[in-house]
Amino acid sequence: MSQARSSKAGAFVACGALVVSLAACARQATTTAESPRPALNGHVGYVRMEELVKKHPLYAQLARLDEDMAALQLKSVGPEIARSGADIAVEAKRLQSELDIAATRTKKALADKQIEYAKLEQSAINAAIGGGGSGPGGGAIAGGIAQQARAQQQSVLRDAQKNLDTYRREVIAQDQSAVASLNASLAERASRTFRAKADELQRKETDFALSLATEDSAERLSLRTKLSNLALDDSSRDDVKKQLDALDKKESDALAALKNRDQSTLAALQTQLHDGVRADLRAQVAVMQKRTLVKINERETSTRQQLIAKLRPLPQAAGGSGVNVPAGVAPDMRSKLEALHKKYQSDFDKDANRTIASFQATRADLTRRFRELGQVDQTAQAGAAKQMDSLQKQRGDLYGQMVAQIGREVKTIAEKRGINVVVSGVVAPAGGVDLTADAEKDIESLHE
Amino acid sequence: MATRTHRLAIACAALLLAAPILTPATLAADVVDIGFVDQAALSNIRQFTDANRQLAGFKSDLDKQFAQRMRSVKDGATQQRIAQEFQNKLGTRQRELFGPLFARAQVAIASVASSKNLSVVVDKRIVIFGGQDVTQNVINLLAGPGDPIPPVNTPPPSSVGYVDQTQIDAIPKLKSANEEFQKFQADQQKAAQAKIKSAKNDADRQSVFKEYQTALADKNKSAIAPLVDKTRDAIADVAKKKGLLLVIDRSNLIYGGTDITSDVTSALK
Repeated sequence: MSQARSSKAGAFVACGALVVSLAACARQATTTAESPRPALNGHVGYVRMEELVKKHPLYAQLARLDEDMAALQLKSVGPEIARSGADIAVEAKRLQSELDIAATRTKKALADKQIEYAKLEQSAINAAIGGGGSGPGGGAIAGGIAQQARAQQQSVLRDAQKNLDTYRREVIAQDQSAVASLNASLAERASRTFRAKADELQRKETDFALSLATEDSAERLSLRTKLSNLALDDSSRDDVKKQLDALDKKESDALAALKNRDQSTLAALQTQLHDGVRADLRAQVAVMQKRTLVKINERETSTRQQLIAKLRPLPQAAGGSGVNVPAGVAPDMRSKLEALHKKYQSDFDKDANRTIASFQATRADLTRRFRELGQVDQTAQAGAAKQMDSLQKQRGDLYGQMVAQIGREVKTIAEKRGINVVVSGVVAPAGGVDLTADAEKDIESLHE
Repeated sequence: MATRTHRLAIACAALLLAAPILTPATLAADVVDIGFVDQAALSNIRQFTDANRQLAGFKSDLDKQFAQRMRSVKDGATQQRIAQEFQNKLGTRQRELFGPLFARAQVAIASVASSKNLSVVVDKRIVIFGGQDVTQNVINLLAGPGDPIPPVNTPPPSSVGYVDQTQIDAIPKLKSANEEFQKFQADQQKAAQAKIKSAKNDADRQSVFKEYQTALADKNKSAIAPLVDKTRDAIADVAKKKGLLLVIDRSNLIYGGTDITSDVTSALK
């Protein structure tokens, strides 16, 4: 009877325990951060990943990358860069307009001269015929022609000099602007290189510190466990403390040595980059100046040749539909005068074309130089975008590395607590088991 | 006596069998019905890489046109309008190229989820541990001949809920707070840029940047954070009432789940 009662009671207890277990399962399913309880199999857990990331030893590095990106964005998203592109376009347009005006002025000057030359040619023909006894006095005509020719020569020289001066000023101004842009671009590139190296070294330092801590963690834990043993005598306790201190010293010495080496590396890199920037700038400025000098010299030579060509045939008769030969001139004289007219006309046309071509070359050249300036600016912008991409990649890699490490810690916790699925990215806590606090402790221990 | 003991045992067994039915819904929400898909792996299948290549070519052409258009434009509003216009063009092309592919992938995921009795499939990125990885099954289905066949049944009720954050953000008071913050940010950015321009050295620039970040953080704390907390509380309340275990953002959800967006927006209004 007693045995039967005992058996009945046992069955009750067994059944009751199972039911209570199931009910506990149900309650556990709605456990939240406020009431953490041991989880049971088949439940869902979650972590607040952003909070865990902030506790990770590499968070400082991640935060610095975020700051770098924000700073870069602040620098490059601003309206001034966009405006600089537009400014260059406006400047190029202004230059184009000025050159067009200059070309028109040149053409007009040539047209005026054409009329003048036609008059001069006519006068010269009259003088020639007069010299032959059939027209007005040759001396008077020759004097008038010479005076007009001198005036024309001066006008042509003035125009040529003015154009040359304008060209020289503009080319030099462009060079100065290009040098400034180049300097900024080179300095920016050097700064990026330096920052990248500094980041790399810091990353290595962090990794090194982490690896040292990981390597010694077992020994440290063992020593700490010994210390927590109350039965430890004073001498042994001191000994363990010394061992712990020695461990700390070993780690900090190793880290300090690495940091010193890194500082030297960075200092050397800074000097190297500084020298590099100066050398690059000097080399590129020399190339630029040489090119500019060549261009100015070419322009001077070409202008001089044009002037010589233009001034040599003065006085000449240019333009018109043909030579205006008075009636009654002997056929040989007529053909001589016609040949003279043809020659001067041809020379004048060539000269006019050369002058116009010269202006067009000037215009094309200046426009090209301005485009080059724009390209320097675009290169700077592309550099900023490239730097942003690189920072984003670095951030992504680092974040991935941190999340993976956190994931491993969380997995261990979840397995211990019998949780089958753990997710992040939970919008609001509703049910499920919040493993954030447990994971935080484990991640913080990585700092030690 | 033996009969009584047997009766007792039978009663206990019945109680055990009834327990899962009587316990709250959360107990039934066994985690075996949560699946996940690696979307990065899906994007590597040929159809997606082809579409990506086409889109990259289109974008490259568009970038050139955009640069040309912007070169002569100085006015900020016009620049913004042109940028928007090009963004729309890119978006349209993206939808043309990827829309049919996404639809096909969605059918494949639904089909796999149905065959594996999954109530929900989420993005792999939010799964830290556990769950069923159905990526390869989906890839096999997509790479196989013919179109995947959609499942006959709708997804079973899930203990994982989701909200559409864009709809929540569209609630007038949240929208106006966000807009106010954006305006504040733009003003601060403008002011900071002007200060950076006139700064004499790196230390000055750094100080301007820190000041800018602090201003944004303060504003966020005073204007945005309280609303975020309120929204989170509202989501948690709705989720608890509906017996959900987790609530995730719609962007992380791929298939199934319980939509509580309208309940949350009603609670917040």
